[in-house]
Amino acid sequence: MENVWVLAAIWVGLALIATLLAIWLKISTALTEIVVGTVAQLVIGALAGSASLGAKSEWISFLAGTGAIVLTFLAGAELDPAIFRTKWKEAGVVGLVGFFAPFLGCGALAHYVLHWSTRASLLAGVALSTTSVAVVYAVMLELGFNTTDFGKGILAACFVNDLGTVIALGLIFAPFTMRTLIFVVVGVVVFAVLPFLTPRFFKKYGGRVSELEAKYLLLALFAMGGLAAWAGSEAVLPAYIIGMVLAGTVGKDHVLVRRLRTLTFGLLTPFYFIRAGSFVSVPALIAAPLVFVALFGAKSLTKIVGLFPTVKAFKYQAQEGIYYTLMMSTGLTFGTISALFGLNHNIISGAQYSHLVATVIASAVIPTMIANEFFLPKHLLYLQRVEADFGKTGATSAEAAEGD
Amino acid sequence: MGNRQNGRFHNILVGYDGSQEAEKAVEVGLAMASTLDSKIKVLAVAQPSEPPTAVELQAVVDDAREHYDNALRRIANSARENGIRIETAIAVGHPAEQIIRQAEQGHVDLIIVGRRGISTFAKIIIGSVSERVLRYAPCPVLVTR
Repeated sequence: MENVWVLAAIWVGLALIATLLAIWLKISTALTEIVVGTVAQLVIGALAGSASLGAKSEWISFLAGTGAIVLTFLAGAELDPAIFRTKWKEAGVVGLVGFFAPFLGCGALAHYVLHWSTRASLLAGVALSTTSVAVVYAVMLELGFNTTDFGKGILAACFVNDLGTVIALGLIFAPFTMRTLIFVVVGVVVFAVLPFLTPRFFKKYGGRVSELEAKYLLLALFAMGGLAAWAGSEAVLPAYIIGMVLAGTVGKDHVLVRRLRTLTFGLLTPFYFIRAGSFVSVPALIAAPLVFVALFGAKSLTKIVGLFPTVKAFKYQAQEGIYYTLMMSTGLTFGTISALFGLNHNIISGAQYSHLVATVIASAVIPTMIANEFFLPKHLLYLQRVEADFGKTGATSAEAAEGD
Repeated sequence: MGNRQNGRFHNILVGYDGSQEAEKAVEVGLAMASTLDSKIKVLAVAQPSEPPTAVELQAVVDDAREHYDNALRRIANSARENGIRIETAIAVGHPAEQIIRQAEQGHVDLIIVGRRGISTFAKIIIGSVSERVLRYAPCPVLVTR
């Protein structure tokens, strides 16, 4: 379709439908956008040809890519830097295990059982290694653990887990040439300088209607994204790290964060998630449902096997039952970014992409549905566990820990 | 369970989500509190979408807090003008779970919630709030409609 405005109207219309579905069904917009993208491609593809939706056109790719970059940046900026100062050891170990267990386990299953190529298997491992910080954070807020040392430690571990995912995505598939070295060196310098430069620059020139802050941040994200792409890496890697290093400054500027969210949710991420959904092949999923079952099983099992002894080693006896389970949940953002990276770089096929995205969605949705159906109220479950482990007196400390 | 004596409701908790049904529940709660000289707590809950996703979660929580702040302030002012002891709070999570949690921790004697229809799919994903409250509540529950 050549008429850009008609195509734009179709995509924004799809985004509007996805948003209404999210409101009516009380589910996340990212999820409905992926599903709407898949259905739209099926319907529009059948009626007007597979290229009619224009998912591979340059301007849609650009908007979708920008959506992934800004969303990743904002996700990194949600980090609380103070967490790492006190909980770096636990966060590092639990986060790394949370990353490596599914990365190695799912990668091995893809290679030895599903007979995927080495690169496709590594990509599968990366896509399924993520943990949904949002799922864990939501439960922290519900139980009031977000203000406790325990809660902060687990949240920090989730960030480390996702950092492992973006680093793996950014470096495993890079060709490791002089360009890679230049990217890493320049990246380290930029990541070190930004936390000092940014607040001073904003203080002197920011706070005007010309939205200098947004332009400055987009410049940093695009420039580092461009350098990453030039080096054969992935633009979301520097975006996530820039978000993390600016979490203590930009991340605390609520007005700026809200403006960036408006830009992101209003225009950019619908293109990203609908586009990601449009590449999912339903026939491929129907043709080999066991692949999905195997990947989902491997993801859940490896998280449990990896995290259970690790979390226990840090003497989180009472609470680990809930939290290592929660860490099984896959983040839709990093899961789909990884799968889409693999598809765009011909690391995985369309069918493999479809299975990975289906697994990412399932591992985001199923633990949440199970928790809501069988483990509500969660706080009672938690108190029962405390009583079982420590006797009735433990409940008092649990209540004292709740401070939301 | 609260310290209900002689069948009196000393502490009343009202679940509030800004809907018409919730406004009615608040009205009933305020009327009961005025008549029985009870203390009332109005609880609003910011509910993240399912499954919670990066950035969207914080946006939902921020927006809900901003929205409920105004509504709760209005309710509290109205109650205090009528001499009713009132407390308001905003929690995050599944509304039913947060209502039950507050009921247990605040030694509540009566929970009041409004009932409104939700889609079948939403019911599967998040469940009916009033049904969940009825199932798990540690005290009597009044469902208004």
